[in-house]
Amino acid sequence: MALLYSLLWRFLLVLVRVKRAVVSWLQIRLRSWRGRLWEGTITALLLPVAVSEFPDYQKKANPNVNVEPVRGNRAVGSRARWLSDGQSLEKLPAHIGFMVAEEELSFTDVANLVVWCMAVGVSYVSVYDNHGIFQKSSSRLQEEILRQQQSLLGIDESKYDVELLNNSRDKQQHFVVSCRSTVKVLSPEDGKHTIVQAAKKLCHSVENKERSSKDISVSMLDVLLRESKNIPDPELVVKFGPVNSTLGFLPWHIRLTEFISLPSHRNISYEDLLRALQRYGACQQRLGQ
Amino acid sequence: MSWIREGELNLLEKISANILKAGPMPKHVAFIMDGNRRFACKKNLERQEGHTQGFNKLAETLRWCKHLNIPEVTVYAFSIENFKRTKEEVDGLMELAKQKFEKLLEERENLEKHGVCIRVLGDLNMLPLDLQQLIAKAVVTTRNHNKCFLNVCFAYTSRYEITNAVREMAWGVEQGLIKASDVSEALLSECLYSSNSPNPDLLIRTSGEVRLSDFLLWQTSHSCLVFQSVLWPEYSFWNLCEAILQYQLNHKSIQKARDLHRDEQAVEQLEADRACLAEHLQHQGNNGKPADAQKRQEALQRYIASREERVQDFLHALKHKRNSFFHDLCSEMVLN
Repeated sequence: MALLYSLLWRFLLVLVRVKRAVVSWLQIRLRSWRGRLWEGTITALLLPVAVSEFPDYQKKANPNVNVEPVRGNRAVGSRARWLSDGQSLEKLPAHIGFMVAEEELSFTDVANLVVWCMAVGVSYVSVYDNHGIFQKSSSRLQEEILRQQQSLLGIDESKYDVELLNNSRDKQQHFVVSCRSTVKVLSPEDGKHTIVQAAKKLCHSVENKERSSKDISVSMLDVLLRESKNIPDPELVVKFGPVNSTLGFLPWHIRLTEFISLPSHRNISYEDLLRALQRYGACQQRLGQ
Repeated sequence: MSWIREGELNLLEKISANILKAGPMPKHVAFIMDGNRRFACKKNLERQEGHTQGFNKLAETLRWCKHLNIPEVTVYAFSIENFKRTKEEVDGLMELAKQKFEKLLEERENLEKHGVCIRVLGDLNMLPLDLQQLIAKAVVTTRNHNKCFLNVCFAYTSRYEITNAVREMAWGVEQGLIKASDVSEALLSECLYSSNSPNPDLLIRTSGEVRLSDFLLWQTSHSCLVFQSVLWPEYSFWNLCEAILQYQLNHKSIQKARDLHRDEQAVEQLEADRACLAEHLQHQGNNGKPADAQKRQEALQRYIASREERVQDFLHALKHKRNSFFHDLCSEMVLN
């Protein structure tokens, strides 16, 4: 009997996996079909501007997007569209976190996501994976972001200053790209570890009789955490990959964070991001009331 | 309506339960029971009726969990933020809690038969005194039961819990039980309200909201999160099965992430111990390090042993402090 149940369980699991794969395949098919239809309609209507309006569909046809020459008016056209998309949303997160829970990481796709977020007007973008790979190779990510910024937004590197704030002690990478947006690369180190460091600090001050244990409050700890890393609470975390878990992402900060799950970050399109942002716009928070 | 529901699963449910049980099962499931008020609104019921039906669903869910061999359940009953609701609703919820804990005390024998241990996580001081006493009584009465565990988060938020853990460690420092340098991730976990439980394997939130709302933020960092759109009073056995299936699909990758985290934590602890030892030796004035590697290793082992002893003593004292809090409340109740 136990053997039968175990076989049935395995069968059930396979069934669910197949269902998932079929659904996600259908979604991609449907999207590209819809995209082509849309593109076709627009091409017919606005022949000269059309191609420049949908750079990500071009990208799909031509995966080697990096070598594409930057055409000024194309970039300006999409920039205007992205900005107006951002303004048309009901609310926009001030801090959006991208959490990649997949085996293989694609720096180009993550860089695209960051650039699109900047274009729609998100002021703080963080990128996380639980192995800390992005943090270890953050300079590569930064280069990739600059490259995508140039190719998608047509921003001239010399015009926009890219600052690298290097917090040398724990190799925290935090850089300001363009004047408006901040990109932060996070790892599990920034989570519980940082809370423990703050707790140690408070206990040291108690040890030195600078304060009493009774004085310690939520806001005190919150201020201390903000001082050390200065990460605002993310309003939205977009999680990529099949694992349904936060995998150690900033436990203190995700108190009111909305989680949106997408199957993969590979070949992600601007429309996918926009749809996630629209879903976030529709979420209502009651804050306990 | 009672806390413990008797009754077997029907045939189809039983077969499905057995199929699921062939795979890895969660040992601890946490619920955010959201949607009681929306349910009441949808069915044109009084708000309070929605909360009552929500409680009944909890009793039913506990029965399913028992049949699915899930020994531990944690529920988010009342958040500190909920005190912001209208006085009428807060009073109603407090009254409901009072009734339910009274009922629980009446069912003492049944709880004993099933071996149900009730724990309440949160800052009880924020509650009315009579409710505090009832809760303390329920906790003390069921303390030694060890077959199933129900943790009720009441007057709880996770940030408050983490802060309270820091406060407890600072108390330990004040008492001279531990040093500030003994503070670590493992110690902080031991000072949380949930220190007696393993971390939840699965967290379920109903009613379609996709956030944690300040619930078990620390404990669920490597748990499977499942957000379901059904309203809590309409939750069914099949919804629970679906969530467990999700957990089973995620099980391997989450286990891997957990192992990775555990290894990193061990490395971190060792580094911290080394650093503390180096500082300690510097204070003694022999230039930081004993002469040879073997002696250094021995000194490190001695340091680790003494740290562990301090931590154990502190945790013992903390446990004693928490137990006597409940005992004092109980004895006050008798005197009244």
